Amino acid sequence: MKRKLQAAAVLLIFGVLKMPLEQRVTHDLRTMHLVDEPLHLGVKGNMGQMGLAAAFGGLRGLIATVFQLRAHVEFTRVNWAQVDKYYGFVTQLQPRNARYWEEASWHMAYNAASYYLYNKELKPALRGQLFHEYVQRGTTILNEGLALMPDNPRLWQKLGDLHWNRSKDFKASGDAYLSSFQHGGLNFTERFAGFAYAQANDPDSWTKGYAILKKLYDEKKATPGLIEFLKMLEQNLHIPAAQRIPDAGPVRRATDPQAGPLRQ
Amino acid sequence: MSEATQSSAAVNVAPVRFSPRRVWTLAYATMTQLMRMKILPFLLLFCVLVAAMGFGFSTINPEQQLSQFKTMSLGVLQVFSIVFGIVATALLLPKDLDDRTLYTILSKPVPRFDYLLGKLLGVLMLIASGLVIIDAVLSLILWLQQSMLFDAAVSQLHSEKQDTPEAVAQMREIVARQGLTWNLHWAVWAIFLKAAVVTTVALLLSCIASSTLFTIVIAFCITIIGHGHAMIREFVLQPNLSSASVRIASFLLAAICPDLAQFDVVDSVANGEVIPWTAVYEMTGIAALYMTVYLFVTHLVFVEKEL
Amino acid sequence: MSDTPAVSVNHLTKVFKGSLGKGAFRAVHDVSLTVKPGEVYGLIGPNGSGKSTTMKVILGLLNATEGDTRIFGIPSTEVASRRSVGFLPENPYFYKHLNGRETLHFYGKLCGMTGDHLKSRAEEMLALTGLEDAATRRVGGFSKGMLQRLGLAQALIHEPQLLVLDEPTAGVDPSGSRIIRDLIIEFRSRGITVLVTSHLLEQMQEVCDRVGIMAHGRMVREGRLDELIAVENQTEMVLENASPDLLAKINALVKAEGGGTRLLRSGHPRTTLERLFLEATNEPKKP
Repeated sequence: MKRKLQAAAVLLIFGVLKMPLEQRVTHDLRTMHLVDEPLHLGVKGNMGQMGLAAAFGGLRGLIATVFQLRAHVEFTRVNWAQVDKYYGFVTQLQPRNARYWEEASWHMAYNAASYYLYNKELKPALRGQLFHEYVQRGTTILNEGLALMPDNPRLWQKLGDLHWNRSKDFKASGDAYLSSFQHGGLNFTERFAGFAYAQANDPDSWTKGYAILKKLYDEKKATPGLIEFLKMLEQNLHIPAAQRIPDAGPVRRATDPQAGPLRQ
Repeated sequence: MSEATQSSAAVNVAPVRFSPRRVWTLAYATMTQLMRMKILPFLLLFCVLVAAMGFGFSTINPEQQLSQFKTMSLGVLQVFSIVFGIVATALLLPKDLDDRTLYTILSKPVPRFDYLLGKLLGVLMLIASGLVIIDAVLSLILWLQQSMLFDAAVSQLHSEKQDTPEAVAQMREIVARQGLTWNLHWAVWAIFLKAAVVTTVALLLSCIASSTLFTIVIAFCITIIGHGHAMIREFVLQPNLSSASVRIASFLLAAICPDLAQFDVVDSVANGEVIPWTAVYEMTGIAALYMTVYLFVTHLVFVEKEL
Repeated sequence: MSDTPAVSVNHLTKVFKGSLGKGAFRAVHDVSLTVKPGEVYGLIGPNGSGKSTTMKVILGLLNATEGDTRIFGIPSTEVASRRSVGFLPENPYFYKHLNGRETLHFYGKLCGMTGDHLKSRAEEMLALTGLEDAATRRVGGFSKGMLQRLGLAQALIHEPQLLVLDEPTAGVDPSGSRIIRDLIIEFRSRGITVLVTSHLLEQMQEVCDRVGIMAHGRMVREGRLDELIAVENQTEMVLENASPDLLAKINALVKAEGGGTRLLRSGHPRTTLERLFLEATNEPKKP
């Protein structure tokens, strides 16, 4: 009996002493992005998440993958509401996995939006409306992911792509690409930020775009596309001739701003 | 018959000390005993399953395929190691008691601590061997997949005339990050650490409990609570949140259970996160601490246990 | 031989605490006994009389509630006391995946034995218990008698000075039982002290030097077997080839003696059923 009491005492004392250590290790692992942060949803939300974590006993990744596969099945059946629902579960289970946010957004903004845009069974007005709604849904998903991982360059890059390709909001696209680059994104995101700003409608964006592209030009990182956008911006911003880069051939505006300036 | 048995006069009062050789004998016997419980065919089946999963996914992109493969196989591996650790440990002691093997062992000059450690090591050695084999199979499949997927992705980029050096480099970076890296082995190591902690807890429970079913059920409950430990802890540490009784109950849960979420790096590895050495040290250190203390408590319970 | 008793039990009481809703149970009540080195001591009694509990306390598998037990002077609570003990539990099982030889090697290693010493000792024990042919057979396929003999072999592997045997012949067929009893007699001749429990009284009578009789957790009788079972006022005489005339003369002499002397019975002594069984089963097979 004496030993059993000793055992209980050791267990309890260790329990008290280990808690600060566990706090520290958990904090370190969270800082290294190896262990999920709890979502800041208030106490109730936290308890709910605990229930979720407990119910799956550390298998959230596995369950998320199963939901992702189910979402894929629904994707092949072009059942977009179900795809959205399953990806909702997936991103809740694995909120720190950027890939899931990206895929969820891609399904909505590209696949679902295009499906409705080209669906000839629908009236043209409805097609456009549904297209915009699904593009907006994709944007919302990416923004939710970015709220949890504001430093993730990949999500910023995908948001830039989405604004460029789908909503044609080049200012927002430029902001997203620039944010991606500033958070350690791949080099081309800086250039893309410049391209996006160049195609925006406001002079402020042109100024930002010009600054980016000129800097890259000066750093001898110019590509043919960059030179053409830079020349376009020089014209738009009325840059004095002395400050302009050497002429590399005539530039004309593209009919489709998405395509960028056409090369000869 | 030697002189020693001829005479009863020789009374050796030197204490029996801890013997690594004795512990190894017990651990090896435990491991072989468990292996006879048809564990090898199960392992083989698992390897086949992993291989099938590796090539069986319908996919959208290479990154998704590699990531899904890692998540699924590592997740299943985690379940396998925890279930095996709990069930094997819960069965071992009662089986030795039923068969009276425990009597024949402990009536020899064998300290009870040596017996406990031997049993624990035997289970852990088998889990470790299983994980090493599966890790090798997993690595091989991932390496094969990685090369195949990269080639396929590049040829698709080429056919779409999108194979700019930047696009190829990005694809290479994605595939390399999601493919075979040291991180995979560290994830398997984390799975082992978690299973080792759970197994030690199961050993403690099987020394307290009189029924195998009780040990298994409670060990699974602790495993589940252990995954929500961080949230219980944070709840306990927040002031003025709930009644005193709820806080005391939560505190006791947090004190008794290990925080198993600390070893949940599997999802991050599947996402392509890099596991630094610091994380490996911290996980290994805390697992060693849990195991040492739980084993010590187990010893305190077992040394007095009436057999 | 040393004066230190091989086993000493002093005022042993063992109470099992009741689990939920059940009262405590006193299995052994103030039992004392001493086993001298080199003798075969039988602890006999009906089921539930406390024999096995006493034995488990002696081996340190259970803790005494009161009193103490020692093996060659060392308290049973010390692991060191087990250096000089070999134990055969009732109906033992061993790891089924091991063969006979591996089982002995396993137990030998637990006792710290290694190398050639362990190997030769294991072979010696296999030969002693008649298990040489089963050395490479998996224990899972052993008969009850073979398991019991393997149990004896493992109990002896580390050359103990004391053997504790719990119901060694229970459930074993007569020939297996005979072998085990012969082995016990052999151990005694080799100077090994044996403490054996059984409720098979005839068998105990055959092998024990001293016995203790337990009932309801108490020691009710203890002493040398021949003293305990001798009927002091009776004399037995067995004659061979005696003629009816001689028997009549003896009868007449007894009557003539008078007083309290009288002939209680005479007739042909009977062989035991066991002996008959052994003779019948050991007869060579007819072609």
